[in-house]
Amino acid sequence: MQISVTVNGQVCQRDVEDHWTLLRLLRDGLGLTGSKEGCGAGECGACTVELNGRTVNSCLVLAVEADGGSVRTVEGEAEQGRLSRIQEAFARHHAVQCGFCTGGMVMSVRDLLQRNPQPTVREIQEGIEGNFCRCTGYAQIIEAVLDVSGQLDDSSVGDLRHV
Amino acid sequence: MSELTVVGADVPRVEAVEKLTGDALYTGDLLLPGLLHAKVKASPHARARILRIDTSRAEALPGVHAVLTGHELDHKLGLYVVDKDILAKDVVRHFGEAVAAVAAESVETASAAVELIEVEYEVLSPVLDPMEAIGDDAPLVHPDLGSYAYVEAAFSPQPGTNVAHVQRVRKGDLDRGFAEAEWVVEREYTNPSVQHVPLETHVAVVQWKAGDQVTIWTSAQSPFTVRNLFCTAMRLPLNQVRVVVPHVGGGFGGKAGIHLEPLVACLSRKAGGRPVRLQATREEEFSLLPCRSALTYRIKTGVRADGTITAQQMTMYWDAGAYADYAVNVTRASAYSASGPYEIPNAWVDAYTIYTNKPYGTAYRGFGHVEFFWGLERHMELVAHAIGMDPLEFRRRNLLKPGSRTMTGELITEHTGDPRACLDAVAAAIGYGGLTDEEREHERRTGRRVGKGVATLHKAPAMPSFTATAAVVKMSSDATVVVNVALMEIGQGCNTALAQIVAERLRFPIDRVKVAIERDTDKDPYDWQTVASKGLILSGNACLLACDDLLRQAYDVAAQVLRANVADLDHDADRVFVAHRPQESVTFAELSIGYAFPNGNGIGGPLIGVGRYIAQGLTNLDKETGQGLPALDWTYGAHGVVVDVDPDTGEFDVLAISSAYDVGRVVNPGLVRGQAIGGMVQGLGTALCEGYIYDQQGRLLNPSFTDNKIPTARDLPARLDIAVVETAQLDGPYGARGVGEHPMISVAPAIGNAIQQATGAELLHMPMRFEDVWRALRSHEPIDNWITETPAGSCRSDLPGGAGQPSPRK
Amino acid sequence: MTAMFRYRAPRRRDELLELLAEYGERARVLAGGTDLLGDVRSGLARPAAVVDVKLVPGFGELAWSAAEGLVIRPGVTIDDVLRDERARSSYPLLAACAQDLASHQIRNRATVVGNVVNASPCADMAPALLCLGARAVISSQDSRREVPFTEFFTGAKRTVLRAGELLEEIVVPAQSAGARGSYRKLKRIKGHDLGIVGVAAMAKDGELRLGISSCAPTPLLVDGLTTRDPVDEVVAVARAAISPISDVRCTKEYRTHMVGVYVRRAMEEVA
Repeated sequence: MQISVTVNGQVCQRDVEDHWTLLRLLRDGLGLTGSKEGCGAGECGACTVELNGRTVNSCLVLAVEADGGSVRTVEGEAEQGRLSRIQEAFARHHAVQCGFCTGGMVMSVRDLLQRNPQPTVREIQEGIEGNFCRCTGYAQIIEAVLDVSGQLDDSSVGDLRHV
Repeated sequence: MSELTVVGADVPRVEAVEKLTGDALYTGDLLLPGLLHAKVKASPHARARILRIDTSRAEALPGVHAVLTGHELDHKLGLYVVDKDILAKDVVRHFGEAVAAVAAESVETASAAVELIEVEYEVLSPVLDPMEAIGDDAPLVHPDLGSYAYVEAAFSPQPGTNVAHVQRVRKGDLDRGFAEAEWVVEREYTNPSVQHVPLETHVAVVQWKAGDQVTIWTSAQSPFTVRNLFCTAMRLPLNQVRVVVPHVGGGFGGKAGIHLEPLVACLSRKAGGRPVRLQATREEEFSLLPCRSALTYRIKTGVRADGTITAQQMTMYWDAGAYADYAVNVTRASAYSASGPYEIPNAWVDAYTIYTNKPYGTAYRGFGHVEFFWGLERHMELVAHAIGMDPLEFRRRNLLKPGSRTMTGELITEHTGDPRACLDAVAAAIGYGGLTDEEREHERRTGRRVGKGVATLHKAPAMPSFTATAAVVKMSSDATVVVNVALMEIGQGCNTALAQIVAERLRFPIDRVKVAIERDTDKDPYDWQTVASKGLILSGNACLLACDDLLRQAYDVAAQVLRANVADLDHDADRVFVAHRPQESVTFAELSIGYAFPNGNGIGGPLIGVGRYIAQGLTNLDKETGQGLPALDWTYGAHGVVVDVDPDTGEFDVLAISSAYDVGRVVNPGLVRGQAIGGMVQGLGTALCEGYIYDQQGRLLNPSFTDNKIPTARDLPARLDIAVVETAQLDGPYGARGVGEHPMISVAPAIGNAIQQATGAELLHMPMRFEDVWRALRSHEPIDNWITETPAGSCRSDLPGGAGQPSPRK
Repeated sequence: MTAMFRYRAPRRRDELLELLAEYGERARVLAGGTDLLGDVRSGLARPAAVVDVKLVPGFGELAWSAAEGLVIRPGVTIDDVLRDERARSSYPLLAACAQDLASHQIRNRATVVGNVVNASPCADMAPALLCLGARAVISSQDSRREVPFTEFFTGAKRTVLRAGELLEEIVVPAQSAGARGSYRKLKRIKGHDLGIVGVAAMAKDGELRLGISSCAPTPLLVDGLTTRDPVDEVVAVARAAISPISDVRCTKEYRTHMVGVYVRRAMEEVA
């Protein structure tokens, strides 16, 4: 089936199989491999993208369902090679390790901050609970979100205690 | 040592930008012309004879390029015991084992073809419980064990049994030690198999070209080990096989050995050299790929009333699953570390690696220590309770200190590291020994009980005594450098740490140092493996030597240019100069690819520093006594935990964790914190909820995130404290030692100890699900549904005959 | 995702019902897809046609009227309920159950209708709908019937829906508006998880209802109670109503115990 989807502001027309997921369209059809498949079952969030203004697990959306819609992926986050404030904060706070969850995580954080520009720690935890990260233990991601939302007053956050 | 400027700085991860933008390419992102897609036919049985496989309908399906079964493949695989076929031959030994595979033009076609493969099995009754597997009449998982090749210097398979390896350690006189004891406490501690859960499942792309030229792109932790094991199995020269590893989406030990690569290679060969990709599904990750071994750990401790341990007998039953893989070496490493950071004058260890019909165990962050420290540090708590001593004080009394000897005879010095400082730091941080007013108020308000517990940990790299690595530092004409190592960046941050070490040694700013991302066995210098928390020391030292080599080359040319003695030269970030006449200098840029005099004469050549490093002074262990020097270094640490427990339900919450590690030297505080918190949360998963559950037929019942939960952001304890002790490692780069695995170790017993302190619940099985705590509180039979009688769950009792009760000797 | 199927996205209600009639058992309705596409991937579902209901005008609407109450149509997501001020304030129990359902990404996609049609014993929306006295309006090409949710679930993953039928509306009656509610869900971790035991309690004008999930083949309602009943009696009634099993998540014994504890605590909350 021929579909037309606006992805990161670019109108894309592709022929897709009916059973293709949105994730497959992005990765195989459009070469946008920043969205990852971690489980294929909507549990891990590595494939999180924004579809018509809401974050979704793109492994659980059919590509044809996105026809006529608008998709934003992690590849749309930096502008002309300049990292967004979220990305900068992630880099600054070591909120990235292996990087496999990072694309989806950035999309969830972006969505959270749009809904709630000054989330509490609890709200951040709820906002990203659908994104598994096996490396960081999440604390440095939460610190990055607090920082980018202007809530990191304590400059010692992120320090090691030397004994 | 002069003031350090780059080492110790909070440098952002060097490859963070490409990971944040989605530009970073992982193996599963790679496209090749003509790429085929593979799927595997997996066994639904734990143990069965394969009577017949009919692949004809699969082969006839349009778009199918190769269908493989075990009989076509005459290649045995194995790290230490060569016991595994690429595809099951004649018998299947675990649920999920691959019996056939297909390469086709699309994933859909490959899947359809796999469904068309007909396999006729004679289902046999599996041996699932390792304690039954070592019984006299247990069926043999490997009847041909006696004919398998194995690494004889280190391992001892027992033909005619299900024992893949026995490791013994003998220190002192056990009988005398128990005779000196006033109390003897014996208990058994258990934990199930656990999945690593890297977010990126295993994936390999292989092209087997004409003339047996093979290229393997793979999500591996250890490209040279993949090449080595692959070439051994395929009987190919090493220089015909190239292993390339781009970004890796987490490993945790699960990607340390060789996994999908040989199967995909054989599919490519059969498909006429077309490249083939196989990426495991999440479900396959649980049963086609390996897991962490289950452990039953029995500890018998003799102790005097003053808290001095006089004797300890330790018996480990490691459940290898169907293949020995790393489990034999986990057994070895755990045996020589089994007593923890404690000095025990009379200590015996008997550790067995046992074959069963289950998915097989491999390396997993902590390499056995997460599992046995669950038992050991719960046991220390119970021993302290038995003799009426405060558990913290009991631990302090028995900790290793300078002058102590480990179980294998190694002398502990003031440079080895400071377990006492770690333990004291976490105890102080959680206010061990009592509750604050706030905590009492919390108890009153919630009806929950607050408890505090501590646990210690240690680990040395588990590796061959002669483990080696190398680094190459190449200067470009603008005086920037590129570093090549084969230690993999799998998220732990080695590229950043090594860049800092190189920048420090060269006195360059960090942005002039790049550590190449993609590893390639054709282009990079050898490294054994990316495991064991050995990367920082070994590759760090290799980088230092490579920098020194490069500087020596630069100085040699500069001496000629400046007409000076090499001994009089010095350098800064940009130039080499005469120390007493600094205005006489030549820039690194001028020296970088060979110096040209004004008349055009050239001298020198490209500056390329090579550093080679091999572990120093380690020995094999004596097979009977376990005596020897296995440890490159010891990283000590401790956790302190505050929990609150609902006494009506067993539900509990980890309110705070404090962790301390003697890291020798902090190379990058953000990376240390990342390892510390990430490992701690992975340990939390192991402590709370993760584990394989089988039915009586050996079918895995929870091979997905639906019923194998891992911690989410909401599961992070509210208060975190990460402390470091810096007792310099004399042979570590700038004094540093590794801390990659350690944060995961002993999280569970610290929580278990805190729960016991809060409620009295005596937990012997990990994980501690809420129901387990509830049962322990009510003295109900423990559930052990790790091998269920029905999918409905069953019980397994503790030690038979009440041997688990503490007993006063006098 | 490897199974092949035809995707159909009718833009008219009659066309939708016609398709469902045409394909019968071979069709699966696609709303949020969070259950269906998982089942397709794992091979549990092998539909010939997947019929998307979201393009039918009005099917994404969440309507409220004082006469009828809240009408939830097939495209309404869990997040739509949470964002709807009227739904949240009138039916706090509905919102509490919605809030505890999976993760944000799933709530953005999963629908209320899909959650109940999937008919998992642990369906999060079911305890609320049972307590609130909700009805299922079921349509096919040539029929339309109403079934109270107490009769909707017929077994684990089974409902009264027949081939060709669509759960077109969930009607949450206006009488239930303003009732106090509480939802307690036992999970293995604090993050998103299926309920191991779920207990919803609703109190209105002295009447007490309990909706219990994961403790029987279907979510179930315990009614005929009042907020003045002795707690022990209510616990006994609840325990008599359930038929829990032991599985990989926990034992029957623990489920039975936890139902008691959660009923007690829920009663305190709604009293």
